[in-house]
Amino acid sequence: MDLYKIGIKLFVTNPQAVRLRDFIPVFHGWIQQQKIAGHQLIDVHDYSHVHNGPGILLVAHEGNFSMDQEGGRLGLFYYRKRPLEGGFEANLKSVTQTALQACTLLESEPKLDGLKFNTKEILVLTNDRLLAPNDAGARTKLEPVIARTLGKTALAPQSADPRERLAFMVTRS
Amino acid sequence: MTWKEKLAEKLPRTLADEIDVYETQLELRKLGKIDEKLFAETRLRRGAYGQRYDNGQRYDGVKTQRLQFPATTLTKGPDTMWDAPGMQRIKIPFGGLTPSQLETLADCAEEYSDSILHVTTRQDFQLHFVHIEDTPSLMRRLAASGITTREACGNSVRNVTACPLAGVCRTEAFDVTPYAKATAFFLLGHPDTQDFGRKFKVAFSGCEHEACGLVNMHDLGALAMTRDGKRGFRLYIGGGLGPVPYQAKVFADFVPEEELLPTAQAVSRVFARLGEKQNRARARIKFLVAKLGVEEFKRLVDEERKILPPDPRWTAFIPEAHGFKETALKSPSSLNGQAKPEGYKAWAETNVYQQLQPGYAVVTISLPIGDLTSSQARHLADFARKYCGENIRTTVEQNLVFRWVAEKDLPELYRELKTIGLGEFGAGTILDVVACPGTDTCKLGIASSRGLARELRKRLADQYFTMDAAVRGLRIKLSGCFNSCGQHHLADIGFYGNSRTLGNRKVPHFQVLLGGKWLDNAGSYGLAIGSVPSRNVPVVVERITKRFVKERRGDESFQDFIARIGKAESRKMLEDLMEVPAYEKDAAFYSDWGDPREFTMGDMGMGECAGEVVSRIDFDLQAAERLCFEAQLKLEAKDLAGADALAYKSMLQAAQGLVKELWYDVPNDSEVIVKEFRARLFEPKLFWDRFAGGKFAQDFFRRHENPPSRYDHDEVHRLIEESQLFIEAAHACADKLREQKAAQLSQVLK
Ligand code: SF4
Repeated sequence: MDLYKIGIKLFVTNPQAVRLRDFIPVFHGWIQQQKIAGHQLIDVHDYSHVHNGPGILLVAHEGNFSMDQEGGRLGLFYYRKRPLEGGFEANLKSVTQTALQACTLLESEPKLDGLKFNTKEILVLTNDRLLAPNDAGARTKLEPVIARTLGKTALAPQSADPRERLAFMVTRS
Repeated sequence: MTWKEKLAEKLPRTLADEIDVYETQLELRKLGKIDEKLFAETRLRRGAYGQRYDNGQRYDGVKTQRLQFPATTLTKGPDTMWDAPGMQRIKIPFGGLTPSQLETLADCAEEYSDSILHVTTRQDFQLHFVHIEDTPSLMRRLAASGITTREACGNSVRNVTACPLAGVCRTEAFDVTPYAKATAFFLLGHPDTQDFGRKFKVAFSGCEHEACGLVNMHDLGALAMTRDGKRGFRLYIGGGLGPVPYQAKVFADFVPEEELLPTAQAVSRVFARLGEKQNRARARIKFLVAKLGVEEFKRLVDEERKILPPDPRWTAFIPEAHGFKETALKSPSSLNGQAKPEGYKAWAETNVYQQLQPGYAVVTISLPIGDLTSSQARHLADFARKYCGENIRTTVEQNLVFRWVAEKDLPELYRELKTIGLGEFGAGTILDVVACPGTDTCKLGIASSRGLARELRKRLADQYFTMDAAVRGLRIKLSGCFNSCGQHHLADIGFYGNSRTLGNRKVPHFQVLLGGKWLDNAGSYGLAIGSVPSRNVPVVVERITKRFVKERRGDESFQDFIARIGKAESRKMLEDLMEVPAYEKDAAFYSDWGDPREFTMGDMGMGECAGEVVSRIDFDLQAAERLCFEAQLKLEAKDLAGADALAYKSMLQAAQGLVKELWYDVPNDSEVIVKEFRARLFEPKLFWDRFAGGKFAQDFFRRHENPPSRYDHDEVHRLIEESQLFIEAAHACADKLREQKAAQLSQVLK
């Protein structure tokens, strides 16, 4: 099976404009209306007490959405948990589209007061140490596909620590 | 490549085989070739648990939604959808953990869960939102690092717990670590532990007066002792929290170390043979011990012990246990007046414990409500390698400890912990609020224990430095329901979730329990004072603690203070906080902490008789609650007969109130009330808890049919607890009756 456990994080440009817990009622509202296509949205979890953690988590069967604070930067992090049909490139496209859809929805939330995402800087993360360990081999294999799919101007591998997940910061023009 | 192939060489054969078998069963279930009940017990025995909403339904604040999972008919247990996210419990015997195990846990949390590792009150880890099909790989990865999930749930021997200070404690008789480990692995998968009617919990403690091991609240508790220079244990049997807490009884004053495992085995055999199997609610060993009496139970165990075929494992571990010594990473050293970072003093006061071994300390890493991220876990693994080596443990207060930290490293370790947000002070204080998962993920949760814990932690942290020292030392523990996973009975101030109906809306509440004793290995349990709306709990805590500070006499403990002012006065102090404002006045009371959904059943709606109408049944149940409370007062005054009578009367009153809903003219005759209650409410399963079944009604029937001829304090105490739960169940039943009525009415109006 091709790699489908992919995570995409888009960063909030104006984090001072929102309070983390403001996302709780918003995500509950999304569940009421099942706002994300192709996803069974299930529940909301408050991890605001955890330092640089998943913040507020919207659990779906297919994958989770969180207003994530990893690395001290607030952003929408979507990671796929259930299999997708395609190869890595198609899967990456699909996951990115879902993440972008979630960001667009959040930006249009009246309760979130002008929240904005930076779509020029995207964190791509593979969440599967078996199929994509954080090593040179996997990096070389995935880099061109990510570049092609997301249209980069720069692509920076993140931590070289082999324990960490393989991740790239993609900067787009 | 799969994890199975990748780890083939690394997995111990037996563990690999077990997981292969489990994976095959999972595949068979997918093909419909294994019954769902059988598969449910299979996965539970491997720690794969259900989670809230796994029946495929969730109230979204407006309506109850049917969750559309891809596998529409496949289930992983009765009423449990295959695709619904589940919880994986991971056993950590005596809480002992190495840095590489912590890293494996971190990886699994990221890839299968939500990047959160949750430490439980049994020193386990839990991962949430795990798909059942990911569990075999998850288990293999854990097994490759020496961790098993076997028998983490189900009717089995659960994680064997022990003091996190074992081996480094200044007051222990000896290090219980190797004994806890030997017991855990001896009983794991043992043929004599496979046929229990319910779970079985074992704990070890190194000394009598500290809390760490909590042996008094365990099915089997072992307290280290030496006699004539020989090691052994005082064994306790039949303790437990749960809906009705039982203090364990002393089973044997001194069991020599070589008899520890055979005795545990003989106890297991007797429990498996004679323990209740049909009625889950009475299947814990505490009920068997109470039924037989501890002497008779012991006689049966002794008989069984005599016929056990000898097993070399009973004593094989003993030489190793005597030689057991953890390796410190660094030489002992002292602080020697070195510069301390800001905040260090407050942290060191609460989170550092001077070991028995000079020059070393135990550092408690406070985890907010037991949570840490995968990233924090990896950093902690690095810090452990730098400061304490393999010596990490989880605690039953949902924290982690680093043992064998050289004292001179303390400031640097503190600095590093702060960089990852884990330099919080307050371990073992009022800030260290313990909470079970509650409505966040637990199927049985009634109220949001974690939401409330978050709120309390925040408020208390703001006040910490202006608080009286006596208040700082109090413990708060929360459970989302009466099942006590948050160990609320043992807290100075404990709470468990319940709900009340006002008009036709439900309001999340917490029952307040005061004066439980954490020390002396869970020395005594708190008694219920009354139920308050969840929104008022922070004010409850503030009011109680203020009063304690104001009226405390000298060094009086909180337990003594509560005993002195008495339960009536305690209740009086909180009475106004038991009131719920009208919805129109303050709608916040009608939702739970951190959850904007209205705390109500979606299909109840607003009826014609909406408004502030209090129905007759509510008055009856209120009267029953009052009687139950008065029973507690009698017990406090040592009037056992009076307490027993009132507790029984409270159940009778609640039962009568319910029967009246169906037969208004039910007479004040206890025989008739019981008969009618049985026929109209119990047998049609209207008075029926989804999980506890008919237990609460059976408690009532038992007391009705067998009034005591002599009174025993523990028995009466238990009856009061039972009556409390009976009244809780009566509230739930009243709601059901209301729903029935509303449905009938709407049919008529159609
Ligand atoms: S106490 Fe109740 S709500 Fe909390 S974990 Fe246990 S069963 Fe669930």
